Amino acid sequence: MGGLIEITLGIMTAVGGFVDVSEMVFAAQAGSRFVFSLIWVFAIATVAIAVFGEMSGRVAAITKQPVFNLMRQRLDLGPGIIALVASVVVSIITCAAEIGGTATVLKYLTGWPYSVLAALTTLALVAIIWTLPFKWIERLFGLLGLLMIVFAVATVKIHPDWGGVARGFIPQVPVSLPLKDLVTYGYFVVAIISAVLFPYETYFYSSGGVEEQWKPKDLKVNRLVAIVGFALGSMLAISILVNAAVLFRPLHVDPSIVGTSALQAAIPFGRTGLLMALLGMVFAFSGAAVETGLSSAYSLAQFLGWEWGRFRKPHEAPRFTIAWIATFALSLAIVLTGVQALDLVEWAVVLSIVVLPATYLPLILIANDRKYMDRHVNGPVSNVLGWVSYAMICIAALAALPLYFVTQGGKL
Amino acid sequence: MKPNGSLKLLAEVRDLQIVDKDGRSCGICDDIELDGGPGKLAIKALLVGPGAYEGRVPNWLFWLIKRIAGSRIARVPWSAVDKISARIFLNVTAEEVGLRKVEDRWVRKLQKVPTS
Repeated sequence: MGGLIEITLGIMTAVGGFVDVSEMVFAAQAGSRFVFSLIWVFAIATVAIAVFGEMSGRVAAITKQPVFNLMRQRLDLGPGIIALVASVVVSIITCAAEIGGTATVLKYLTGWPYSVLAALTTLALVAIIWTLPFKWIERLFGLLGLLMIVFAVATVKIHPDWGGVARGFIPQVPVSLPLKDLVTYGYFVVAIISAVLFPYETYFYSSGGVEEQWKPKDLKVNRLVAIVGFALGSMLAISILVNAAVLFRPLHVDPSIVGTSALQAAIPFGRTGLLMALLGMVFAFSGAAVETGLSSAYSLAQFLGWEWGRFRKPHEAPRFTIAWIATFALSLAIVLTGVQALDLVEWAVVLSIVVLPATYLPLILIANDRKYMDRHVNGPVSNVLGWVSYAMICIAALAALPLYFVTQGGKL
Repeated sequence: MKPNGSLKLLAEVRDLQIVDKDGRSCGICDDIELDGGPGKLAIKALLVGPGAYEGRVPNWLFWLIKRIAGSRIARVPWSAVDKISARIFLNVTAEEVGLRKVEDRWVRKLQKVPTS
């Protein structure tokens, strides 16, 4: 890597790949139910993902080993296996949610049956991963996902109360709400933290660092891409929240159905806006499906010491190849059982926050270990932000299951 | 650490990635087989495979792993170890020490698919 073009492309890819189906669903619902009062959660979770993303990229560049390879050395075999199984299960469910989301949007565009579109989407993704090298896979979906910028442009066009939006960035608890709504607010806080910090993002990011053979000289680019790319990507998610608050709330529209949010672009920009939003969603969701599908295979291969990577031909890393194909097959099978995409999104979000503490602890410990990192260990800023974020993740993980059951998945 | 140098803690060698002489990742050192008695303990082999998890994970988990992944163990003789840093480097190919059996089965199947 190197040069302005690489940096720009890296940032654009991170922006286009930021929003996935669960962020979309929770951002839109957060806006329509709680106006701007959940914006701060996106902001804080984005700081956390930028910190952990940068850390995992740095660990990959220095140790040449991605997160999962090191997780086992840090957690020991037994806890490591449990973390592995949990994260593979989460990746499969998340992948199913992304495939389901993509198929739902494609149904709006084509009118074809949902299950046929889910199967075609999966086949297309498998064919793309089989044939394209890693960098092209990442760029293809990231850059086409930039069509989602239409949501940010829509935000400017609909003139929200910018003062109210700015106040949303201040951490707050709307204590004036009735208890029932307050508990649901708590569920949304946890769900948004989880959706932004999905564990597959760091597996994918750090594995990508090894795939692209990052070196210590790439650390600056890594930092820029992680901070600027994730921050701009998060602005897209926040604009979806703001649009939902302005456009959906007054009409009592519940945007829990995946495609509803596309109307945010249709209202100010008509047919063209609608088309851009739907296509942006197709690429953003299917890009996330690729990331989760590969992440599951990365985790397995790295934990068990197999040959892995898309820089190799499929038969040169055979067990890795079988692992990602099996992930897509299982994800498609889940989608074809007829489970609603929204339910999959909620399961993915709740399960992944429970797994998150096990993912990020080894990462932060290794990033602090001079034996692995030499002079590239965490500085004070990374450490303070990292540990504060880690504490936040642990609290969210403890609260996730009780809040999910009490609120019936936010449907209370 | 060199194979003939002083042995650090067992924990330092366990769970490290094994790389063969062609630079291919070929498993993780799941456990170590020791030889000799008190005063003259020496490493006999690196153990690789789910069968080597026994004693390292709770019994119920090992029972489950055995049912899902089998209980095969490949023994990599200590003489096949070239050097140990953050990874274990071998001076032989993975095939010579039985670390490619599962991989090779899949290679043949995947090679039949066009463009692979």
